[in-house]
Amino acid sequence: MNGFAKILFRTSFLLGAVVIMQHASFASVDDAQSFALQAAEPYVKQGFQVREDYWGGDLASGEKKAVRQQLFKGNEYWFWLGTEVDRAKVSVHIYDSDGKLAEEPDSWEKGHFAAAHVIPKTTGSYFIIVSVEESPEERTHWALVYGFR
Amino acid sequence: MILFSKHFKLIVAAFCGLSLHAHGAQAPQHININQLSTTVEDVVVPLPNEIFGALNKLGAVNWKEHVRSDKGPNFTERPRIALLLGAVIADGFIAVQAEDAPAVKDIGQRVLGLAKGIGVGNSITPHAKAIIEAADKRNWENVRQELDRTQNSVQQAMNEVHDEKLSQLVSLGGWLRGTEVLTSVVKQHFSPDGAELLHQPDLLAYFQTRLKAMPEFNLPIIHQIQDALLEVKPLIDVGNAHIPAESVKKVNEITTRLGTGIVTKD
Repeated sequence: MNGFAKILFRTSFLLGAVVIMQHASFASVDDAQSFALQAAEPYVKQGFQVREDYWGGDLASGEKKAVRQQLFKGNEYWFWLGTEVDRAKVSVHIYDSDGKLAEEPDSWEKGHFAAAHVIPKTTGSYFIIVSVEESPEERTHWALVYGFR
Repeated sequence: MILFSKHFKLIVAAFCGLSLHAHGAQAPQHININQLSTTVEDVVVPLPNEIFGALNKLGAVNWKEHVRSDKGPNFTERPRIALLLGAVIADGFIAVQAEDAPAVKDIGQRVLGLAKGIGVGNSITPHAKAIIEAADKRNWENVRQELDRTQNSVQQAMNEVHDEKLSQLVSLGGWLRGTEVLTSVVKQHFSPDGAELLHQPDLLAYFQTRLKAMPEFNLPIIHQIQDALLEVKPLIDVGNAHIPAESVKKVNEITTRLGTGIVTKD
């Protein structure tokens, strides 16, 4: 390998490393939100209006977060959870204000996506519990979006 | 038969395993809410159209009589502009329900003017244009989506410059206008299910907490809202009991009074 080729190889390697490091360090809740929205996509065709607003943060494996949300009887809701860490496993579940599981049986979890479906029996506060069940990362970004119809 | 039974058991076990894999571990049927110490503080305030959607399912609503698109006064105080902006965005959702294109277009312009007045006009211009274009095409779903984006962009722009309190006032203005219209509709055709939509005690407590943390906004309208929320709380915080027609009427009087205060110069 001549001198020019060596420099080119080293520069390319460095640039590649910088790109990878940037990706790792700049991965954010916004990336997680993109995945949550991806999970929501099929439901838009079914008439669900997906809110622009969302919740997000980061959690360690096994850690949970509770979000309180006002839901209205008569509406139907889906909550979609996503993370950009593709080997992570996440979950989302919905409880009413008495702590009783309130979600429909078609709620699901698939790796770094999860979704919970609720048809509120009463208008009031509900608790959405998000959890990172497993993850190779120390902290895992998560984002939760919801839609209603 | 024994062989079939063995196979059957294996198939059932495999099916259960697959099913468990797809749905993940079973969630507990009951949790102790009082032990949830990690609750995210900021609740997402529902959009007015979330409540209007639930109202529509209870029966036909004459949305046209609730449309409001008058220009109103120009305020200089930023908290007043923020409250009005939230109320005007809520008016946009009402105009969408009424499928009133001219009103939606006026509201789009008004939102842009108010956003400029509060220093976040740049982030709103594309949404205001999209609202007007979608109203021209009577594409109500797009108008709805753009109104949601508008509110989100306004609040994000405010949060970026650490104006979170103004952002909360935008939400409050929208919630008050939504509650005014909700109570007006339910008052006209009372039903326990309609009244139940008012059962929002945690949201009310959220706004009370936020307002308490705004001592620097020493304006009459802010004090009026604080006092009014104290009046509203016992009317809607009824636990498992029904909210009676009298309470709906009272909340309507209070929110109508506040609504007038928000759009009127002192």
